[in-house]
Amino acid sequence: MISLRALFLACGLLWGGPLGAVDYLREVKPLLTEQCVTCHGAEQAKAGLRLDTAAAASQGGEHGAAWVAGRAAESLLVQVLEARHGEVARMPYKKPPLTPAQVATVRAWIEAGAQAPAEEVPGRKLHWSLVPPLRPAVPAVHPSNWARNPIDHFVLARLASAGLAPSPEADRVTLLRRVQLDLTGLPPTPAQVTAFLADLRPDAYERVVERLLHSPHYGERWGRHWLDLARYADSNGYSVDAPRSIWPWRDWVVNAFNADQPFDQFVIEQLAGDLLPDATREQRIATGFHRNTQLNEEGGIDPEQFRIESVLDRVNTTGTALLGLTVGCAQCHDHKFDPLSQREYFQLYAFFNQQDEPSLEAGSSEQFATRDAVRARMKPLRAELDALAETLKPKFADWEAALTPETREQLPLEVRTVLGLRPADRKPAQVKLALDGFYRTQPGYREAEQRLKAAAKDEPVLPKTLVLAERPEPRDNFIFIKGDFTRRGADVAPGTPAVLHPFSQGHARSGIPNRLDLARWLMNPANPLTARVMVNRVWQQYFGLGIVPTENDFGTQGAPPTHPELLDWLAVEFMRPEIGDRSSELKSPDVSAQSSNSHLPTPAAWSFKHLHRLIVTSATYRQASKVRPDLAEKDPTNKLLARQNRLRLDAEIVRDVALAASGRLNPTLGGQSVFPPQPDGVMNLGQSSREWKPSTGNDRFRRGMYTFYWRATPHPALAVFDTADAFSACTRRLRSNTPLQALTLLNDAAFVELADALAQRIQAEAPEAQRLEFGFRLCTSRTPNPAERARLQTLLDEEARDGGTEKAWQTFARVLLNLDETITRE
Amino acid sequence: MNLKPQNPLHGLTRRHFFSRCGMGLGSIALASLMDRSQVLGAAPGSHPLAPKPTQFPARAKNVIYLFMAGGPSQLDLFDHKPRLNALNGQPIPDSYLEGKRFAFMDSSFKNKSTLLGTKRAFRQHGQSGMWVSELFPHTAGIVDDVTFVRTVATNVFNHAPAKLFMNTGSAQFGRPSMGAWATYGLGSEAENLPGFVVLQSGPRGPRGGAVNWGSGFLPTSYQGVPLRGQGEPILNLTTPAGISAERQQRAIAAVKDLNLQRLVETGDPEIATRIAAYELAYRMQTSAPEAIDLSGESDATLKLYGVDKAKPSFARNCLLARRLIERGVRFVQLYHTNWDSHGGPGENLENDFEKVCHEVDQGQAALVKDLKSRGLLDDTLVIWGGEFGRTPMGESRDKTGRNHHIEATTMWLAGGGVKSGYVLGETDELGFSPIADRVHVHDLHATILHLLGLDHKRLTFRFQGRDFRLTDVHGEVVTKLLA
Repeated sequence: MISLRALFLACGLLWGGPLGAVDYLREVKPLLTEQCVTCHGAEQAKAGLRLDTAAAASQGGEHGAAWVAGRAAESLLVQVLEARHGEVARMPYKKPPLTPAQVATVRAWIEAGAQAPAEEVPGRKLHWSLVPPLRPAVPAVHPSNWARNPIDHFVLARLASAGLAPSPEADRVTLLRRVQLDLTGLPPTPAQVTAFLADLRPDAYERVVERLLHSPHYGERWGRHWLDLARYADSNGYSVDAPRSIWPWRDWVVNAFNADQPFDQFVIEQLAGDLLPDATREQRIATGFHRNTQLNEEGGIDPEQFRIESVLDRVNTTGTALLGLTVGCAQCHDHKFDPLSQREYFQLYAFFNQQDEPSLEAGSSEQFATRDAVRARMKPLRAELDALAETLKPKFADWEAALTPETREQLPLEVRTVLGLRPADRKPAQVKLALDGFYRTQPGYREAEQRLKAAAKDEPVLPKTLVLAERPEPRDNFIFIKGDFTRRGADVAPGTPAVLHPFSQGHARSGIPNRLDLARWLMNPANPLTARVMVNRVWQQYFGLGIVPTENDFGTQGAPPTHPELLDWLAVEFMRPEIGDRSSELKSPDVSAQSSNSHLPTPAAWSFKHLHRLIVTSATYRQASKVRPDLAEKDPTNKLLARQNRLRLDAEIVRDVALAASGRLNPTLGGQSVFPPQPDGVMNLGQSSREWKPSTGNDRFRRGMYTFYWRATPHPALAVFDTADAFSACTRRLRSNTPLQALTLLNDAAFVELADALAQRIQAEAPEAQRLEFGFRLCTSRTPNPAERARLQTLLDEEARDGGTEKAWQTFARVLLNLDETITRE
Repeated sequence: MNLKPQNPLHGLTRRHFFSRCGMGLGSIALASLMDRSQVLGAAPGSHPLAPKPTQFPARAKNVIYLFMAGGPSQLDLFDHKPRLNALNGQPIPDSYLEGKRFAFMDSSFKNKSTLLGTKRAFRQHGQSGMWVSELFPHTAGIVDDVTFVRTVATNVFNHAPAKLFMNTGSAQFGRPSMGAWATYGLGSEAENLPGFVVLQSGPRGPRGGAVNWGSGFLPTSYQGVPLRGQGEPILNLTTPAGISAERQQRAIAAVKDLNLQRLVETGDPEIATRIAAYELAYRMQTSAPEAIDLSGESDATLKLYGVDKAKPSFARNCLLARRLIERGVRFVQLYHTNWDSHGGPGENLENDFEKVCHEVDQGQAALVKDLKSRGLLDDTLVIWGGEFGRTPMGESRDKTGRNHHIEATTMWLAGGGVKSGYVLGETDELGFSPIADRVHVHDLHATILHLLGLDHKRLTFRFQGRDFRLTDVHGEVVTKLLA
């Protein structure tokens, strides 16, 4: 409509003609809002100019008024749009110019007198990610028989518009290994592969997905991704890097994933579990999320400085993990690109400035029950002892007076020392020492004491874990000028960024909003960011890159989504699911139901398992990952997903695959972190040369995620494969590919040990003729092709000639653990 | 220069295959396989450590950074202050302390602190007449090849954050170190060794540990690799016990052949990178032990450095640094602990300080002389310094020492495009604050990158939505010290 009339205007044919005057609100303002107010609006007004209201524009900036009513050619706005201003560059700056028709609209409106309403709401262009997602319509696509669920419709529509076809489904073995590694971080056993290949039911794959989603290893795999965001480690960081106990929080995360705790509850408990009404012990353990900050124990520091560093870290981590915004940029100044002021940064800071940092006993309910029972048993024994002491006490003075040198000599040294003092000079602790010494000489007392000690031996020692607790007396909150904590600026109160959905308090007891209000605000479905950010991160784990490739920046400097509708659809489906859940049918082994969606129960809101199920059962996910020549030019980085991607496994999973293949894996869940072998000398690299005593027995073979993580000196086999560094929220692991990785897999004692175990397993579990294939399947899940078989046979023959069968299988096993395919999800 | 990978999935990890592979498999066969994989769509990227062009002509190709872990006392080594000696024992005027922050604030400032003169004799040396104290007799002999910067200022006064700040430009963990930035920007000439190598000596590791030479958010290809001067030079470098060289070679050859088959099958260029990584790893198994083997060094050289072949030492690491530079390593960083002269046990300004000075003096001087005589000094920038300086005031512990001081300290640079026999900057009569030519750590970083042919404002990496650089949003190149 605009363009047709503008065309006439541009040709100068229509002046006040039948289409009438240009309407500011309908035609000019949307144009200015779209093209100009990002730089010339409320958030920033470059060159002092704002174009978000006509009044502000005619008031002008450094270069004068934006327009002179009735004189378009002389107006600044028209001159810069047409690139004919002497000093000011063509606008929009470094963006495509407006079309002639659009410029003509502006010209015509100015010529006609630049009329605009007096009361005008400022125009405001919101970045896409700040507009709440709505459920988009699922596009119709051809061929519709490829698509398995709505995800595929979005992907296929985008591919079709680029003239690309999707890839065929991966072969079944690849698919099984892929989904099993993605959901549990462990490869399928040869028996699982065989069973899957033999299951010819149409929903055999969906059944595998259900099996995996119900495996306890699912919680480990997806919990570990969350630990990356939370900067989890087992030590305090900085130079001293003393050990800490916060693994009960790590186990809480794993359990929460396994229980499919809704994501909103999951976050609320971690940010503010202690503030929930009648908070349970588990909910308080959950607040360990924000105790994963570093702690500086170096001598001579200013403790307040490092307390503040922790608070800043909590703000930044919350912003990164849950909002996908570079909130930290506003610590020293207003955000340069996103609508976030320094004041708003410190309003968020104010929520996290009110905590104490205690620790809490953790433990299973059995442990607590055992302790209660033991203490109940101890109670009468202690009462008996106390009663005995009470009756003996009056006799102390007589006893002391009656001591002879010989009887005195039989007393313990410390008792004799006290008795050497005059009674008036004895301190209370010394009096007690003397009394105890006396009691123990009296009949029956020692025996009663022993009975109490024996009972106490059964009392379990409960692990402690770090938690947050709200301070009774709140701290004052200030803006720090230029982010420097020694320079206090204006006071601030807790609050949330104005550009996001409204903040409603009401849970706070004191009337001042607290962390619980913040957590509930974050998880309010009106929040435009959190659901998108989270589904994007889940997507990224499956395809290597997110739909928004800058998974850590949903702001204006981030990359736009490759599939905006898909992102929104996933975000809305995550928050308010509509796609029915077939999982209960699939769990019953005999029914192969093909129910229509309408009869299926709707899954719970914010269910991760629902999200995983949707993605891994999509045709998009199931595609082959083979590189296609036709994509090399059209989509070299595979943004459009015409195929799957081969992804090198995460550091912990590289270890897990070797553990699983060798048969050594100890699948125990949770508990204290462990110490698998590592090369000598690693622990000397830090300030404090800490001991690394390798775990023995089964603890030597725990999954990689349970390796004790020293921040200053992380286990080299994890570090070399790009594990998260635990200093700040890690939103995506790098996938480097270096010679040090080769040296690790080839020579590290831990991998050599596992290769030996694999060699023994191959010989023990497979008949001679099948050993080669069996070993290959343990590592890659598939059978070798003839060329691979021939190459491996050559190796075995050469090695056997050189050093005998035993050594041949050892080398064979080392080769398998070093294959690119073994440490890759295809 | 934002070196964003073409394919963000693979990161900066692909290797320029044809330029650098060679071992074992016939090149022609490999090339034809590679051609096939390219047909499949796998465009080969470039190896992350392949040499890259500078942004403008460089003055230095390599860096050897002698990091004195802790804070060496500039007032007892380089910054000669007769007035401080004259005022020994007198309280420091209030005007100096206003608004300043120090480590150990509580314990150090309960009582008014008094000035502490040095007990060390200073003399002028060389043609340039540079002041150096008696504790550095060998170093006094190289002053005409050195630029002293007397006014280096930092932001942070505790060890671990200050050491990080000096290395990464930030007191927060997680940023890339200078050596990582340099190898990210320039790659490395070393075919068979890592591009960034770290050597350590002294009684303990430096505070903060591996983050000091970490790659932060840069790919791990750029992180410093600790090289041990004796025994196994690199972690996991040695073929496992009980496995002969032949068996190791056979295993590697089989891994390569099978990986090649998979490369052809899948077309994934990442497999080509992995094949190349195994080849470099294999070459490192020979080249790294060769690099630390001093048997080829003449007695005269060993004597120059004062190296005892049987013992680890800072001097030995200085000699190793030269050998690594000769082999194309881009950035070598030496850490020597422990410079922390508070006055407590093991850290007094008397015999403890003499000991640590003696440990480094001959080696560091020999390094500069040796580089010069071999014609390597022009291309190699040598940097010497700690993480901060020490106060003109005394600090009372068991004995008298000095506290951490961020206002001013002395560092020196040699070779690689900096002036010779030159002093930059001047401190006040007590050596407390700069009065001319203050050089902040960010300025130093900007200057070092400049000497390497890199613009500190254009050497960036995008992380968490922001372009990061070594100098954050600060730093000016200190043109006065450029030759």
